[in-house]
Amino acid sequence: MSNVYVIDNGAYSIKIEHAEKTEPRIIPNCIMKAKSEKRRAFIGNQIDECRDASGLFYILGFQKGYLINWEAQKTVWDYVFSDQCCKVNFKDSSVIVTEPYFNFSSIQEAMTEIFFEEYECHSLLRINPGDLSAHHYSTTYTKVICCLVVDSGYSFTHIIPYINGKKYKKGIIRIDVGGKLLTNHLKEVISYRQLHVMDETYVINQVKEDVCYVSCDFNKDMIISQKKGKENTIAQNYVLPDYTTVRRGYALPTDQSGQTDNQHLQLSNERFTVTELLLHPSDVGIKQMGISEAIVASVNSCPQETHSYLYNNIVLTGGNMKFAGIEKRIYMEVRSYVPEEYDVSIHLPSDPVTYVWQGGVQLSRSSNFYSHLVTKEQYEEEGTQICYVKFDV
Amino acid sequence: MNRESNRIKDASKKRVLDDDTRTRRLKKALGALEVDNYHDDPHADLVMSKKVPKFSDSFETRGTRKKKGKGPDYYKQRYRKSFSQLVEEDRHFHPEPPNYTSAEAPPSSFPPRHFCAVCGFFSNYTCVCCGTRYCSVKCLGIHVDTRCQKWTA
Repeated sequence: MSNVYVIDNGAYSIKIEHAEKTEPRIIPNCIMKAKSEKRRAFIGNQIDECRDASGLFYILGFQKGYLINWEAQKTVWDYVFSDQCCKVNFKDSSVIVTEPYFNFSSIQEAMTEIFFEEYECHSLLRINPGDLSAHHYSTTYTKVICCLVVDSGYSFTHIIPYINGKKYKKGIIRIDVGGKLLTNHLKEVISYRQLHVMDETYVINQVKEDVCYVSCDFNKDMIISQKKGKENTIAQNYVLPDYTTVRRGYALPTDQSGQTDNQHLQLSNERFTVTELLLHPSDVGIKQMGISEAIVASVNSCPQETHSYLYNNIVLTGGNMKFAGIEKRIYMEVRSYVPEEYDVSIHLPSDPVTYVWQGGVQLSRSSNFYSHLVTKEQYEEEGTQICYVKFDV
Repeated sequence: MNRESNRIKDASKKRVLDDDTRTRRLKKALGALEVDNYHDDPHADLVMSKKVPKFSDSFETRGTRKKKGKGPDYYKQRYRKSFSQLVEEDRHFHPEPPNYTSAEAPPSSFPPRHFCAVCGFFSNYTCVCCGTRYCSVKCLGIHVDTRCQKWTA
């Protein structure tokens, strides 16, 4: 009987649950402080108890995608693993926990130490989220031998080629654009053009998730969004929450536009120019290529004979892949960059956020799962050294 | 009669930012996109008294010291390395690629697109003072009135 917990420890949210379950719990990986509630801070999903989420102050464990603030992370973990939240029992369980690509050695050591000595788990597997996505993909499509994982999260976006189930490290490309940057950019743009919302990260993040999309014909959408009145089909009013009558902001249906007494935002080109940063970081002056170009660059750095397989098996994961239209846009761009003899096909999972977690569950059911693990006895015998040998991060 | 426009006539009087200042401004703007919070900690001015009982403490755990559980403070002390320290360390221990530094995406081979800093539409013009892009006289006016020379670079 396998007793495994899968933890996809993201910079913005933790996806955690016992591997027997079908869906993970998604818990914000941060501590939040509200202006309205001075007596306490909200850890993880405690934020649901907060009545007024305006001006939330975030304390995050991750910085630029890596675990830096251990104090914050430990507080969140203590809460998440406690009876109040997930009620885990690590003592007789194996734990799969994800960590970022090219994670720094001292962070790796700290992770191992905490999970063995503090949480006393029976055995541990530290792994990159892309490895789990690739595993998930290869269990769904068993004939596939190569795939290219695009992992676009809160802090950054990675392109990772997998050849015969193994990560091809030389081909990994990192783009420093993630969900946080998009939210901050949207915040900045709205604050300059209409309403000062620089303090409202939480609310503007919801705005981003509700109304932003990826354009499939950028020039055409730019022209439409410049039009006045009914011809502008992109313009969208968004009612902001006031935390008395409106608890959560919402997009106003187009036929009722302008008919609200509540404070609202008028969004037009912001709806698709913000997400454009994923595909063109140079729009704000970041000197890096976008996702589609990076896909081609990553494939080109792999052995020639794998190219046709990689282009044919592109997997999109991470929260940014929930923007409408992104799959089509990436397909169109990659198709236009790649020679005709290659087939391009893109797989967008039904839930790109939990895809990694699901992959972890499948890995825990595979026959050779136990060979990947480091047990507590091994760790006590050989120290952190054995983790460098066994874990390929 | 000189029919030169006022805008062009005044332009020579204005302070034109040099390239260094412009790069510094861009860096600052990009840095601002990375921050977690724009405002200060709303609880920073609270003074906590140690005598106040903590409500999370249950009767069982109070007084008796837990055998384990080092608490968040311990980990703050134990692993304190900033992001730049870690990158530096990584460069030292893993000098040969692939590593964190080598994985960064190279610059795009396409020329950058330009958008009006005011309204967000395509821009064809550049502010002569600070290099910000704009699309029309109207937007230039807003830009000059609000941001042009007002950022402390």
